[in-house]
Amino acid sequence: MHLYLPVALTSVNILMPVGLGLLVGLLSGLFGVGGGFLMTPLLIMLGIPSTVAAATDSNQIVAASTSGTYAHWKVGNVDFKMGIYLLIGGFAGGIVGVQAIKILKATGNADFVIKMTYVFMLGIVGVYMFIESLQSMKKAKAAAAVAAAPAPAGQSAFGRFLASLPLQTRFEKSGCTHSLILPLFFGCFVGVLAAIMGVGGGFLMVPVMVYILRMPMHVVVGTSLFQILFTCIEVTFLQAYSNHSVDFVLAVLLLVGSTFGAQIGAVFGRKLKADQLKIYLAIIVLAVTVKIVFDLTLTPSLMLSVGGGH
Amino acid sequence: MKNILKITIMALFIIAGAGAISGADACLTAKANHDDIKIDFFYNGSEVSVSGFSDPDVDLIVKLTSPEGHQALKKKGKTGGFLWMNVGELKFDNVPNVYYLQSTRKPEDLLPAADLDSNVIGFASLERHAEVGPVSGPEEKSKWFGEFLRYKEHNNLYYQTDGGFAMKEGGPQRHYYMKFAWPYQAPPGNYDVMVYAVKNGKILETATSKVVVEQVGAVKTLADMAKNNGAVYGILSILAAVVSGFGVGLVFGKGGGAH
Repeated sequence: MHLYLPVALTSVNILMPVGLGLLVGLLSGLFGVGGGFLMTPLLIMLGIPSTVAAATDSNQIVAASTSGTYAHWKVGNVDFKMGIYLLIGGFAGGIVGVQAIKILKATGNADFVIKMTYVFMLGIVGVYMFIESLQSMKKAKAAAAVAAAPAPAGQSAFGRFLASLPLQTRFEKSGCTHSLILPLFFGCFVGVLAAIMGVGGGFLMVPVMVYILRMPMHVVVGTSLFQILFTCIEVTFLQAYSNHSVDFVLAVLLLVGSTFGAQIGAVFGRKLKADQLKIYLAIIVLAVTVKIVFDLTLTPSLMLSVGGGH
Repeated sequence: MKNILKITIMALFIIAGAGAISGADACLTAKANHDDIKIDFFYNGSEVSVSGFSDPDVDLIVKLTSPEGHQALKKKGKTGGFLWMNVGELKFDNVPNVYYLQSTRKPEDLLPAADLDSNVIGFASLERHAEVGPVSGPEEKSKWFGEFLRYKEHNNLYYQTDGGFAMKEGGPQRHYYMKFAWPYQAPPGNYDVMVYAVKNGKILETATSKVVVEQVGAVKTLADMAKNNGAVYGILSILAAVVSGFGVGLVFGKGGGAH
């Protein structure tokens, strides 16, 4: 059964966006990522114009992350304090990123910078998460085998530097103490990159929370979804107001799938170990990176495309 | 007397000739089955058939187009020798967004190039009629117009073929019938149908019809709101997403799901 999309001006088989929403919602609930880096290219493959795909994706992420945040909040996996600081940083970073894109577009370098940012950020994050998760899985096995007591954790120079920063605050839910500057700075950093890449930034925020803020993985997922929820509310409004590119009907079809997917993902996520979660996310991120590299290097089937969007 | 006879014969010829022309004028007719295609939620394209009457011994060309306009598209090129990226914008002027052409035989076999060009019949004439820029010369124009055609055909917005007419002979007039599969990608708007009756390398007659494609009901309401009232549309979209997210969360929450 087909349904006509009034803003995308196209007709789609209902099962396609619903299935897509279910898949991406599942990833969202599992890993705490919005799934924008995955959903937008898939929607474009379905024949949705790129500008409408990016904007509508934000709208459906609002639903999926509301559903996911609620599920994680119920089991105490959302650090609201950390989330709010990251969000403040993220908003500031988003403004800087949007301005950067305007300048790059004026100089004609936007496409190159956006695509290279995608490849490098996804590649670095994917490879790092993959290797780190493998190592920690091996360590866990070895530790279990010898039942050795954990070695005294010597603080690295970076750790000492972080501890020396002013405005140290305790984040109870995450069980860690950090300077307020840290979530604000990294929130801003991810905000800049997310604005340049046109995504919510979950796949960047998750590694920051895990590896730099040293938050427990399950709290990371809930907190990331909380932060993504507000970022995507802002993006949806701006896209609807400025570009008129949010397709509500498409968003409804996607969110029918994604809200259920997020709940299923949250349930599965609780059954998986943190290292398993990380390694699965790393594999997905790397697969998307490889796909983008192929798209960049293989001769495209069409040499012309509609303007706008990335 | 001779003069009267000459004048009478000439007058008869003139009357007969005029009769032939007026007969021809009255002969070719065109009617599109859908003069109003309505886009509702269940719209997935349509079928536009064009039918009418023509002289029995003419060839027919049916052209269905949107008004000519300007289109800007991103062009891909290599950056750094191996990376395919958008490397600029190309502007295509004097080109319709939708161009459908079907003829009883190949247009080049029916009309001389000058007539094809003056009526923009066929992709080759459309290329000569179009302006493409910025390009370095005719070769580059031809290359990018070829890409433009591939892009349009890929999106089902351009189509050209010959044959596929159903003719019903008998009597002084012939009934013709042909159909286009109307793509859902064709946006709302007014489309012109032009039918040419061709014989001996000349266009004898033309007939026209119209196809109007418009959004109706909730599709139109949403499209208009998105366009004219973006802020309200955005807030409603966000609210709907948040409410449905919570709704599903509550439904699943009832089932438990302890850590």
